[in-house]
Amino acid sequence: MPAQLAPITTATRTTRALGALVGLVTVGLLVAGCTPTSSNDPVGEPRSSGTLTYASGDAEPNCLDPHVGGNFPQGMISAQYLESLVSRDSSGQIIPWLAESWTPSGDGLTWDFTLRGDVTFTDGTVFDAAAVQANIAHLQDPETLSSTGYLALGKVARVEAVSPTVVRFTLTEPDSALLESLSQVWLAMESPAALERSQDENCATPVGTGPFVVESWVKQNAITLVRNENYVSPPEDAAHSGPAYLDKVIWRFIPDSASRYAALQSGEVDVIDNAQPDTIVQAKQSDSIEQLDSPRPGASNRIELNSGQAPFNDVRVREAFIRSANVDAAVSSLFQGTATRSYSALSSVETMGVSNDALFDYAPSAAEELLDAAGWSETDAAGYRVKDGVRLSVEFPVSTNQSIPAEQSVFEQIQATAKETGFEVKLAPMDLSSWYAALATNDYDAVSAPYTKVGPDVLRILYHSDSIVPAPSGYFANLAQVNDPEIDELLTTAAQTADEKERTSLYAEAQERILEGFYILPLYDQQNHYLLRNDVVGLRTLPTVAVPTLYDAWLNR
Amino acid sequence: MQAELAAYSSQSVRPRRLAVAEGLAGLLALFLLIAAVVPQFLAPGDPLAIDPLAAFSPPTFAHGFGTDESGRDIYTRVVHGTQYSLVIGLAATAIGLGLGVVLGTLAGMLGPVVDFTVNRFLEVLFAFPGLLLALLFILVFGPGVATATIAVGLSTAPGYARIIRAQLIAVRGAAFVEAATVLGRTRWQILARHILPNTLAPLFVLATLGVGQAIVWAATLSYLGLGAEPPTAEWGAMLSAGRTYITSAWWMSFFPGVFIVLTAVTATVLGRSIDRRMRHA
Repeated sequence: MPAQLAPITTATRTTRALGALVGLVTVGLLVAGCTPTSSNDPVGEPRSSGTLTYASGDAEPNCLDPHVGGNFPQGMISAQYLESLVSRDSSGQIIPWLAESWTPSGDGLTWDFTLRGDVTFTDGTVFDAAAVQANIAHLQDPETLSSTGYLALGKVARVEAVSPTVVRFTLTEPDSALLESLSQVWLAMESPAALERSQDENCATPVGTGPFVVESWVKQNAITLVRNENYVSPPEDAAHSGPAYLDKVIWRFIPDSASRYAALQSGEVDVIDNAQPDTIVQAKQSDSIEQLDSPRPGASNRIELNSGQAPFNDVRVREAFIRSANVDAAVSSLFQGTATRSYSALSSVETMGVSNDALFDYAPSAAEELLDAAGWSETDAAGYRVKDGVRLSVEFPVSTNQSIPAEQSVFEQIQATAKETGFEVKLAPMDLSSWYAALATNDYDAVSAPYTKVGPDVLRILYHSDSIVPAPSGYFANLAQVNDPEIDELLTTAAQTADEKERTSLYAEAQERILEGFYILPLYDQQNHYLLRNDVVGLRTLPTVAVPTLYDAWLNR
Repeated sequence: MQAELAAYSSQSVRPRRLAVAEGLAGLLALFLLIAAVVPQFLAPGDPLAIDPLAAFSPPTFAHGFGTDESGRDIYTRVVHGTQYSLVIGLAATAIGLGLGVVLGTLAGMLGPVVDFTVNRFLEVLFAFPGLLLALLFILVFGPGVATATIAVGLSTAPGYARIIRAQLIAVRGAAFVEAATVLGRTRWQILARHILPNTLAPLFVLATLGVGQAIVWAATLSYLGLGAEPPTAEWGAMLSAGRTYITSAWWMSFFPGVFIVLTAVTATVLGRSIDRRMRHA
């Protein structure tokens, strides 16, 4: 019996195999037929529904109003509910936003902005010239404790309402960076009625004109944003008009990079920021995860050497430190091709950036000679250089909230290579508030502090001697404590120069001087990698400061 | 007959199994001791030496336990890390024990008022889980190896104090103490000569067990970033650094983890074994 059955079984198998083959070919043909529409544009019409969960690796802000203080995590979240007077497109052109047009006076000292007349804040307050006036006053009020916005408005003497839709800025001196400054999310417009409330209240639920509204904030957990149904004011470069597609956004904080990536893999969250290089490499092999890379403008990511105190008040010691740090090896091993080495004070997206790789060669023997010349010629038992009985130590506080693990490992490798030359680098990982405290008390010799600002005027904020004086928040941006009258002069003149060519050459000269003074050790652009589920469509970053915007985003599921 | 046989075999097998465990624990303890005192003997390299080109190497012939994100050899780091863990474990236990002896003796010897006060104080401390107490201490005094050690020591002290007090009260009523009292010895002489020696023996066992616990706690604190700071070759800190890469480089967290477990188990097995020997003796 079994022998008889056998041929039948074989025949059945063959038939099945044939059937399967025919099926496969059919599917293949169908797929081939669909290819032009399905592979390039697998998504249909945007759907107006759904909740997107965003997981940030940055520190949870203390305040959701970016006027207060003004750091990047605040900027990222507030770009969802606040809008600025102007924006910038991907080519670097300033474009209208809440202001329709603007005209500077001939001497560059007064600027008239014509505002959109159809915008209201989400609390019903009308957006008009008086609202702009109230916002600038709020930023300049020392009690607001602003740092980023405050510094950016340094030349604004007065703001007045000419008519409900025309507002006039009067400056103390020409400011070629005024529009760039105003495009930033830290100078965004908030409801004057909401600003009247106590700072605690306004920090919890700031009110803007943006596509989303802050609904609730459970500290240490998540911020919930809901769609602004009456939204009318997207910037010119947005992909659609009218209200946002998403019903709701859950903005979570997952500081641990491995957990953050795991949450994305499992679909628990839809978008993560501050992706670790190894996960970016992994995600490239994954079909369900996509990458969005958007380097931040303004400064490059660099280590600043505190030239205001020993040992880095000696240029030879600064150069020795820079020559003793093997940054290239660290970047290529730890960032695995996801970051490019920088030799500039500015981000690669800044067109006026000057790069000089010859100054940042890894040259340990040159470093040793420099230390000998600077008087650090003796060596103690542990192998560190000594001068007058004092060891060559470098206090290096590291903000664990602002550096992904790969970056902290870069610092460890710099510590290891600088040790060979005789520097004792004391890395001290700490949370954001302890880190701010260490900077405020001048308790650092080296530090890596991200600073994002639109345009090359960031140089004035970071390297002009005025910036050694703390802003109302207590933060001072010139952490290298560069105090060079020539650099001051160049940066001041550049900031007053409207002519692009002249401005470029002034900034170039200033940058050369900063680089040649060995105040900073550039590492790479400020990394800004986002990873997202592949069914999140339309996510982009604002070309101003590269913060994500969820306005055009929708869920294809 | 069968029941007898079963009883017989279980009696004979158990000690043998224990002997094997004790032997292994002894060997491991020896290895850890060598690693702590002369790590160069087992791993001649520098635990902090980087080699970026060899980063993320899985375990190979050249790197038995693989390398980390900066190309540091994990085996060298694990061996050199022993000294931190053992020193922290021993020092923390010594602090806990010392404090426990003082508190327990005060409570057991100085009469009902002191006893009551110390007991209530201990109860308050007991209300917090030990690790929480350690975290609180670090919050006040800042992170670092020294504070982590003291923190772990402090949080184990209440347990020791309780046991010493109970032991003191038990021994206090013993016939030989009464005899000493009759002979006219002072209270402190009796404490030193007769009571403490009889109290400390069981404590020694507890302390051995406690070392294992203290090592785990110290590693926990470093893992949380509150103990040893990276790139120090401390097991907890290594585990923490490895966690970032756990999906791509398992060896970075696996080997430090194995050593934490083995050390804690070794301390426990040895503690039990000493305990049993003392009881039999």
